Amino acid sequence: MIKNIFLGILIAIAFTSCNKLNENPVSVITAAQSFQTQADAVAGVTAVYSELIYDAGEQPMYGRNINFLTDMTTDDLAAGPSAINPYVRALSADTYDASNDRVLAIWRQTYVGINRANVAVDKISAMTFDQTTRLRLVREAKFLRALYYFNLVRFFGAVPLVLHDATSVDITSLKTNQSTVTQVYQQIIADLTEAENLPATYTGADIGRATAGAAKSLLVKVYLTQKDWANTILKAKEVMNGGYGYALFANYADVFNKSAKNGKEHIFSAQFEANSGTGNTSTLMGASFTGFAGKVPADLPADTGVYNIFTAGDTRKAVTFYKTFTNPATGTKYTFASNYFRKYVDSTELSTPAQSGINFPILRYADVLLMYAEAVNETSGPTADAYNAINLVRNRANIGDLTAGLTQSAFRDALYLERRKEFVQEAQRWFDLVRTGRLVEAVSKVAAKTGVSTKNYLFPIPQSEISVNSGLIQNTGY
Amino acid sequence: MQKIYKTKRFYVWFVPIVTLLLSFNTSAQVQTKPLINSTLNGQVLDAKTQEPIIGANITIKGTTHEVATNSDGRFSFVTGQKFPYTLIIRSVTYKTQELIATGGALIIRLEENVSQLNDVVVVGYGTQRKSDVTGSLSSVPKENLNQATSSVDNLLRGSAPGVQVTQSSGSPGASASIRIRGGNSITGGNEPLYVIDGFPVYNDNASTTTGVGSGASVNALSSINPSDIESIEILKDASATAIYGSRGANGVVIVTTKKGKRGTNNVTYSAYYGLQKITKELDLLNGSQWAQLHDDIQVASGVAPSYTAAQIAAFGAGTDWQAAAFRTAPVQNHELSISGGDDKSRYAISGNYFDQDGILLNTNYKRYSTRFNYDHDVSEKFKVGVNLSSSYSTSLSAASNTGGNTLTSPNVITNIISTAPVIALRNADGSYNTINPYSTTVSNPIQDLEIVKNQTLITRTLGNFYGEYKIIPGLTAKVSFGADLLNTKQNYYAPSNSANGYTSLGYAAVGNKTVNTWLNENTITYDKSFNDKHFFNVLVGYSTQFSKEESATSGSKNFVTDLTSYNSLQSGSQTITPTSDAYTWALNSYLARINYSYEHKYNVTVSARADGSSRFGSGNKWGYFPSTGFSWNAGQEDFLKDVKAISNLKLRLSAGITGNQEIGQYQSLSTLSPFTYDFNGTLVTGFAATRLANEALKWEKTDQYDSGLDLGLLDNRINLSFDAYYKKTNNLLLSVPIPLSTGFATSLQNIGSLSNKGLELGITTDNIKGSKFTWKSSLVYSLNRNKVLSLGSLSSYFPTVSNGTLSVLQPVNVVVGQPLGTFWGYKTDGIFQTAAEIASSATLDSKANTKVGDQRYVDTNGDGVINSKDKVSLGTAQPKFTGSFTNTFGYNNFDLVVFLQGSYGGKIYNALKQQLDITNLSQNSTTAVLDSYSASNPSNVTPRASSSPVAQMSSRYIENGSYLRLKSLTLGYTFNQSSISKIHAKQLRVYIAAQNLFTWTKYTGYDPEVSSFEQSNVLQGIDYGAYPNYKTFLAGLSLTF
Repeated sequence: MIKNIFLGILIAIAFTSCNKLNENPVSVITAAQSFQTQADAVAGVTAVYSELIYDAGEQPMYGRNINFLTDMTTDDLAAGPSAINPYVRALSADTYDASNDRVLAIWRQTYVGINRANVAVDKISAMTFDQTTRLRLVREAKFLRALYYFNLVRFFGAVPLVLHDATSVDITSLKTNQSTVTQVYQQIIADLTEAENLPATYTGADIGRATAGAAKSLLVKVYLTQKDWANTILKAKEVMNGGYGYALFANYADVFNKSAKNGKEHIFSAQFEANSGTGNTSTLMGASFTGFAGKVPADLPADTGVYNIFTAGDTRKAVTFYKTFTNPATGTKYTFASNYFRKYVDSTELSTPAQSGINFPILRYADVLLMYAEAVNETSGPTADAYNAINLVRNRANIGDLTAGLTQSAFRDALYLERRKEFVQEAQRWFDLVRTGRLVEAVSKVAAKTGVSTKNYLFPIPQSEISVNSGLIQNTGY
Repeated sequence: MQKIYKTKRFYVWFVPIVTLLLSFNTSAQVQTKPLINSTLNGQVLDAKTQEPIIGANITIKGTTHEVATNSDGRFSFVTGQKFPYTLIIRSVTYKTQELIATGGALIIRLEENVSQLNDVVVVGYGTQRKSDVTGSLSSVPKENLNQATSSVDNLLRGSAPGVQVTQSSGSPGASASIRIRGGNSITGGNEPLYVIDGFPVYNDNASTTTGVGSGASVNALSSINPSDIESIEILKDASATAIYGSRGANGVVIVTTKKGKRGTNNVTYSAYYGLQKITKELDLLNGSQWAQLHDDIQVASGVAPSYTAAQIAAFGAGTDWQAAAFRTAPVQNHELSISGGDDKSRYAISGNYFDQDGILLNTNYKRYSTRFNYDHDVSEKFKVGVNLSSSYSTSLSAASNTGGNTLTSPNVITNIISTAPVIALRNADGSYNTINPYSTTVSNPIQDLEIVKNQTLITRTLGNFYGEYKIIPGLTAKVSFGADLLNTKQNYYAPSNSANGYTSLGYAAVGNKTVNTWLNENTITYDKSFNDKHFFNVLVGYSTQFSKEESATSGSKNFVTDLTSYNSLQSGSQTITPTSDAYTWALNSYLARINYSYEHKYNVTVSARADGSSRFGSGNKWGYFPSTGFSWNAGQEDFLKDVKAISNLKLRLSAGITGNQEIGQYQSLSTLSPFTYDFNGTLVTGFAATRLANEALKWEKTDQYDSGLDLGLLDNRINLSFDAYYKKTNNLLLSVPIPLSTGFATSLQNIGSLSNKGLELGITTDNIKGSKFTWKSSLVYSLNRNKVLSLGSLSSYFPTVSNGTLSVLQPVNVVVGQPLGTFWGYKTDGIFQTAAEIASSATLDSKANTKVGDQRYVDTNGDGVINSKDKVSLGTAQPKFTGSFTNTFGYNNFDLVVFLQGSYGGKIYNALKQQLDITNLSQNSTTAVLDSYSASNPSNVTPRASSSPVAQMSSRYIENGSYLRLKSLTLGYTFNQSSISKIHAKQLRVYIAAQNLFTWTKYTGYDPEVSSFEQSNVLQGIDYGAYPNYKTFLAGLSLTF
């Protein structure tokens, strides 16, 4: 009897106990399951935006990493004593090489963003839901792809121009050689021209997405960087007169005011929200404000130069720097030995200083005005239009009109100075210095940065990328 | 398609088995009920001591009928056989005797078995005569099993050649990292497979980590009570492990728990109590030294000094933060076990309570466990049984090992020792001082230890039921069902006055993880001998295992009151994004093995396993793992039989393929992760792929070759076992870096290979074997050379270090031609003594920034600049050899065990010292900085102290990790039977022991046995805030009734 039961069990097992070996994950989505619905498409594009502000286990692109390249290497910013990363120190001293981990981080983060944009463009274009939304999403992805490539081509020069997701993991097929700078710019302009068809405005939770005005403003910057003055003026006029409603805030402080987020001056910003979970580690904000008690932050003004360019009545000065702060826990007021950067210090989040809710402006109207003035001055000298544009920016900062009757060259210098004052810590300084050929002259004035040389007009292609893709050619001098 | 394929495979295999079983069944039913024809009484005694032998097994040759002796050694045999018949009397550790029974009462005297050849050893899916074994396997000696420890893995240390055990943390209940014959995998797991009473368990720390809390992982194996263990067998070569196929590559540890014996009834109480203290404290600056250094740095950098000479003197010793944090901590263990059996049943029941306080304040590990092992003979042919253990353990831990990005962030160990000594521990009113002007948070690290709750609760039930049926003599079918139910709950609360809770005004989190694994195994074994010359043992089987893991975490912060701790997440005003997760994996396996022995002289083993795993790409689900082994008992040959000195000589050869499947789940698929964005203040979730799909993903396969020699000399008083092996792992699962321009950093591919080759030597000697004094020695020596052979198209890569501070230093490089765990950095060449030296040398920083007194680095490629191209190998964490030496002495009733254990030639990256040497005016340093370069002290070793030195990965912090340690010293006394018979006890032993009593090492950190990154194979030998090791003094007793 027992024997029969035993055998019965054995037979039963033999027919039931073979487990299935298919992988059917229940906790994760696979690539094959994505881009099925409109919601999937929206989520795919959201991930393209996300790379602007979030990278798991790493400091975010906007809000921290980009500033190492655009500000730490210039005469605006230097590594403070508590900066423990030797690569940050090397950027600060302009002694960085191809192994620099911050340069690598920017390279990687930018290409992650590009790949997500590539996937979104290709997948959504092949989908069939509502055409208006579909085209809008594709254009948003193209705008972001253009922004990412624009940063890349300015930092590194000739870079691999990848426009589609990989279809195999074979290493040979994953290698892409560099395209020329011209080819990269052609792609950027093509993507932005398409993105000019984006909506002019959004409502509700869509505010903050790329707009037609953002695409045009980025084109202004692309043309300006290429010294294509005619197109710069053309596109700048479209932004100024295209009925988008852009204008300067009356108060400079509102540019960095949480409650004025995405206001009339903001054309495109990296969107931050305090304590919003895993997607926000805006450490630039925190790094400007790491302590209440004599501990110095990781970032410092490079020297007193950047502080001293502001005249006494300039309202930008108090928005850009702070010297005293009150500890929210104890109410104690501290006065520091020197000035620190204030723009991204969220005064309502002092208890979690790495969680600022202040947006990082990537394109704002003041920038468009100054770019317009610059292009006009380069084409036809300091005309009334050029004066008018720069004075709008100056007057808002409460410093009155620029001296009338300047030469083209003097106006140019005044404009460069205005840009420096207006955009401290807004990821503009290195781009401006390189674009105008003044990098070595300006940076070598700072004693600790005398190592700067003409090779610094481009960053080195990360060494690890060259070891994996031997076809890449390193930039001169590295 | 795939399903059909599998189903077909299934029939091909199973239909014949079932048919076979059914045919045996019919023949079995023909047998008639036995008649009682004879009764035989007798007693079995030890031939030497004349003491009765309990539980000896008596069978009639040619039948399956067996009885066992009772506690007086007596037996009674009632059988259908007629006299005369041949009896076989067997008992463990005695020579088996055969004699012809004619009817009269018998006194049978058994000789103690001195020849190990007849011993039976446990192998995969069965047992085997030791003489017939062809593979390389080691048994953990009894002395090692008796050590006081919290878990099984610690028992393996120094126990057998080829086994390297590294304690990663002194945290109570933490795990050790085990490597059997070196690590085979870079990305995959490297821990051996544990087979606990037939149930395969991979000891993955991740299975008890929910992501809540911090600190060293709690060891899932700690849930098994080590005192329940009867024996541990370590299978090392392919001939032994290939039967475990895809999980055999890292070696197999077979754990067998204690079973009841026939005819006995024992009640044993055993207990120990001990005290533990830190093995060594670091030499840190005292108050005056620190303040003086602080001033010196300020003066050197042109800043006014902070303290006057009088203030500096007044600081004196300052606060000794280590003394405040570490304590003498008790450990205790209590255990009650009852075991016994009669003709039909054997049972062993035990209950255990283990309670260990950590040497760091407020850390603790407790275990409550029970075990129930039961075997019952339903009939002469049918046997059923169960091995069931259940435990509940609680662990309070501190954030040690790798948590935290900087010295002052959550890692509590680094936080404690880096706190400046001029900061007061307590305020005048006795409360903790939380004001540290050098810290950004208002907290006190000692108070943090006391108030931060970091708890792990583990419930584990591991059970295995089996039924075994003897179809015909020699042919046995066995079916078993098992379950491993592991449930972990973690609780964390950092109050608002702790460093971690300060910025968030209280931080609470809870996490749950359940890992349930189910197993069904079906085997048939056939034992047959012909003419007493040809011995066959054939095993075939089918096994299927399925595991499901589910986890969830949630948390909140910003609490009004700390009173509710982690028990009221809803009281926190801000929620932390909750997470949940689920994984499953399945493994279907077919296995077969043939052992053939000719006269127990020439032995051949051929085994194979086919494993189908869900973890691999759709095209590569199945892997096949064959092996073969050959052994020759040359000692049995005529030409050696007469050589008196040689009592045993055996030569072994084996080759085979084993695999590794420990790569995690869903790795072959392109999976998406959520990425959020705040559109105008509204959090929106997006999704993007985090890796490229790789459908070709398959097993790592390790080819292994072994040759060995077992030699017994002088009547086996000297036993020597020597092995040489070579292992090559191909299709290495590697996260290979791919061009970042693809948008991905790495792709998991079967690229690359590495090798391990080594020598193993084990010697045991019976030095003195007197009637009063005995002395036995055991020497274990292991040498392993590990080398990366290929990384596909790469020549090297820097593995990711999951720690912010260390990751930027890229301390470890995986390089073709070098072993894993190779440290990579600059070579130092003293200190710049003059400005002229700086001018004429290559410098790392710009010449303007390089000052006299700065570290000088070697321009290894001679290109005139120091940059990353000058970084070279600084040595490897892997030791050149490891070993142990155990001496066991007996004198009358006393026994003494001296256990020495050591490791030679491995390097340790002392990252903790590196960070402590950063004299940044806010943290403490080791006293090494007192030797800093200055004009008056032109040191050529220690660079000048400055307010912002940058850590560089250099040979300065690569230290010699060799050590020799008196691992344990035990003195025991066993009472005479006569003296304890008054209390009706059968046995009483008392002992005192010390563990980690002395360590001889040049390493300057806490302890040379360290691994902050725990089980990681590439990040070995890094010391960064690991929980320090401790020494233990204990006393215990074992009393049997």
